[in-house]
Amino acid sequence: MRRGSIVALVGIALIAGGVAAAVALLPTWLPETASREAGRIHFVIWFVVVICIVIFSVVAAVMIYSVLNFRAAEDDWEDGPPVHGHTGLEITWTAIPFVIVTAIAIVSAIVLSRNDAQAKDTLRINVTAQQFEFTFSYPDAKNITSPVLRLPKDRSVELYMRSLDVIHSLFVPQFSQKEDIVPGLVTQLHITPTRTGTFPLECTELCGLGHSLMRTQAIVMEPSAFDAWLKQQKKGAAPPASSTTSTSTTTSTSTTSTSTTASSSAAGLSVFNSYGCSGCHTLTAAKATGTVGPNLDKLVAYAKQAKQPLESFVHESIVSPDAYIQPGYPKGVMPPDFAQKLNPGQLDAVVTFLVQSAQQAGKKG
Amino acid sequence: MLGPGLFRAAWMFVLFGGIGFGLVVLTRWGAGWHPILLLEPLVLVAGLVAAPIGFLAGLGAFDYWVYYALGYPTRAEDHSGHGAKSWRDYFRVNTDHKVIGVQYLVTTIFFFLAGGMLAMLVRAQLAKPNSHYFDPQTYNGLFSVHAALMIFLFIIPAYAGLANFVVPLMLGAPDMAFPRLNALSFWLLPIAGIMMLSSFFMPGGAFACGWTGYATLCSQHQPIGAIFFNQGVQWAGASSIMTALNFLVTIITMRAPGMTFWRLPLLVWANFTTSLLVVIATPFIAGSQFFSMFDHVMHTSFFDPVGGGYPLGYQHIFWFYSHPAVYIMMLPGFGIMSEIIAVFSRKPIFGYRLMALSLMAIVVLGFSVWAHHMFVSGMSSWLRVPMMITTLLIAIPTGIKIFSWLATIWGGKLHLRTPMLFALGFLSMFVIGGLSGVMLGAVPIDIHVSQTYFIVAHIHYVLFGGSVFTIFAGIYYWFPKMTGRMYDERLGKLHFWLTFIGFNLTFFPMHILGTEGMPRRVATYLPKFADLNMFISLASFGLGASTIIFLYNMITSWRFGEIAPANPWHAMTLEWQVTSPPPTFNFDEIPQVVGSPYEYGVPGAQHAILAPSKAREMEEVPV
Repeated sequence: MRRGSIVALVGIALIAGGVAAAVALLPTWLPETASREAGRIHFVIWFVVVICIVIFSVVAAVMIYSVLNFRAAEDDWEDGPPVHGHTGLEITWTAIPFVIVTAIAIVSAIVLSRNDAQAKDTLRINVTAQQFEFTFSYPDAKNITSPVLRLPKDRSVELYMRSLDVIHSLFVPQFSQKEDIVPGLVTQLHITPTRTGTFPLECTELCGLGHSLMRTQAIVMEPSAFDAWLKQQKKGAAPPASSTTSTSTTTSTSTTSTSTTASSSAAGLSVFNSYGCSGCHTLTAAKATGTVGPNLDKLVAYAKQAKQPLESFVHESIVSPDAYIQPGYPKGVMPPDFAQKLNPGQLDAVVTFLVQSAQQAGKKG
Repeated sequence: MLGPGLFRAAWMFVLFGGIGFGLVVLTRWGAGWHPILLLEPLVLVAGLVAAPIGFLAGLGAFDYWVYYALGYPTRAEDHSGHGAKSWRDYFRVNTDHKVIGVQYLVTTIFFFLAGGMLAMLVRAQLAKPNSHYFDPQTYNGLFSVHAALMIFLFIIPAYAGLANFVVPLMLGAPDMAFPRLNALSFWLLPIAGIMMLSSFFMPGGAFACGWTGYATLCSQHQPIGAIFFNQGVQWAGASSIMTALNFLVTIITMRAPGMTFWRLPLLVWANFTTSLLVVIATPFIAGSQFFSMFDHVMHTSFFDPVGGGYPLGYQHIFWFYSHPAVYIMMLPGFGIMSEIIAVFSRKPIFGYRLMALSLMAIVVLGFSVWAHHMFVSGMSSWLRVPMMITTLLIAIPTGIKIFSWLATIWGGKLHLRTPMLFALGFLSMFVIGGLSGVMLGAVPIDIHVSQTYFIVAHIHYVLFGGSVFTIFAGIYYWFPKMTGRMYDERLGKLHFWLTFIGFNLTFFPMHILGTEGMPRRVATYLPKFADLNMFISLASFGLGASTIIFLYNMITSWRFGEIAPANPWHAMTLEWQVTSPPPTFNFDEIPQVVGSPYEYGVPGAQHAILAPSKAREMEEVPV
């Protein structure tokens, strides 16, 4: 190979590498890191990206140089030099990738084992996923529940996750951690938050019609603020929970701290929120904006269409959702098992709440 | 009326559907089950099993075997099923591998357009957050059917179509080993495709659980459209398996004298290895779809934890097929690339034996990497590191192929015709897709980007920038051989550049969306992703429009194109040594193979000696 062509080849490779590096650096590719695990994962990403840029530049340089220098005239079908191979080259381009992928595998395995290692004072949080909502409960604090994930900063946290229906997945981009939530299994996810703030938490496994809206938030708090929040929640939950939750730490899937006796609209709202209704339905009183299922602000009108009294219509629509389908909405989407999931007190509470909110919304409208 | 053909197919379709219907109704009535007219078993038995069999029987796909089985005298083979004299011959059971190859390609391009239209609708919805063009069921159906059509009805069978036309010619064989089986496996395809498309018209809408059809969403929580996917995969899969068996037997037993394995063109090697993958792996997806459908229709509990089932079991079985399927959708493309790059560089393929061996290495390694699709699935965590190592190792044989193609180009005499442009486009795009594949292979990176738009970007770089580019390259390359006419070179190049640019503008930004955290398979997204999504949607409409140029070029050139010489590319492989299009039985006499198919520039080298034939006389350009 002539000196000139080597210079040209290196020059093209540098330009290609420069362009690739600019593409890698100029746009914001990754969210800010908010966990120790994310920091390590970002390191692996950049480590592999550098390798990728080098390989891409070599390939691009050879291709561009060839296209620029080795063109034949349109009607010149003469053959090129009969080169059949070169053992040295072939060994080289088998050996170098082998070394590279070995390096990537080692770095990845080390990061993986560090990211999964729990500290001694790991905080346990139980996660329940269902179409289309997450519920988080804190077994160390009498299983108080929350629709958002609250975490203390700088403490190792292990999520124990269950699903009530189909496969979901929990992902917070700023934590770089993700794991599916599989019916019949308890899967685990380890996070050590390093930055206070509010981050989006989303389901990333297609779980049905409301999948796009199965989102909530992860809120990382200073440890003192987190403890204060836990205490406050415990107080609110203490009286009714004392008799039921002490034995249910291991089977906390559907236990909520909600009072089972109160039929006030607060209890109904709580049931509405913790059973994922807002994933599919719109209801002003609960600030819900789902569009998969019927708009619950219009329940009064729907009941008229169905020719049923409002209260029994609402009740029936929850316990056997396919008995009457509001025209324009798909059948078989709403889970049919709320009659089993809710106890009678919860069911009454949510029916009362829906009837009241619908009547209010009807008056306003 | 009684002769095989579309008319008999129509009434037998209705008749068999009626028999299936009656069977279900009688059984339910006899057993006292209510309601007697239950939709799911009726649709499954009558619509998805019995009626298609009636259609095939009416078309005449089983005639010979039925005569034989019933002890009637079989009609002597008069070769009347061979060749096509008019366009009508493309609409019957034809046993000529060249006709079947064209049937495959036209059918698959139809489904490519249908799948592409669905993708445009998906992009319309995603142009802005919170759009309401489609209700959620329809929207989830759009991307599910898009992927299912592109994979099962376009990429896999389009390769089968190209290979159907080319492989027997390259081997020096008069046809495939089992021509009647070949015809049957083609006619299963339109059935599968129409089944998947028609699920949109079922009550409740199309299957909407993604092309992966994960349990328990797909096995329990879907409308009846889901079983259209389950059954569609069975018909397409059966077609795939039969074709692969046919290729294996053809390649092993019907090579011309002197055509040793080390003299096979790399396209034949590629289809040999692909067929091995298909035969071994496809029964697994068939199983997974049967189990899923049984859970849906018969309430078995293969994957339902309430009945003792295991949802992750579905994923293990599914990916044990669907990872090798990635190579089923790639290796034939590698073969096409090797042919085109050698011919348009006018050089022998660099490192021929290592090229063939790396195909075999991919086949073997390809069966040991499936769980890299499941790094975040909740499977046993110890499995992740071994599967990461095998996954990364597969980059080595793939790298060998890319470097060998580069070395083939190096120092050659390049002709940048349309097939070569697509080949070079493939090389650059596949490198990007391969590198993002290495990133996904590393478990920590996969944990961050899996199930996001990064995956969507990666799969399109591999399957569009990779597979679809090679299919376009192959169609342009063999167009003169198939139709006897040249395509329009200017339009071909325009098509390439519009596709290349549109493709990158559409799919590259998806990497960024993914690393920033936008999940895939969503109908709406956080407002911060709005600008990029609008950009992607606009680019994707441009990409879609570029296909119109391809269609226009193909249709007008097929009718009015310049008459093609026997060997317009001055290639050495056997298909170019006969007329364009080739005679009905390919060769007047079976050729004698005497050397490698890639001896460009070697003085006096010959691939094969053909008996003095029409091919020589028709040759217009002296070599």
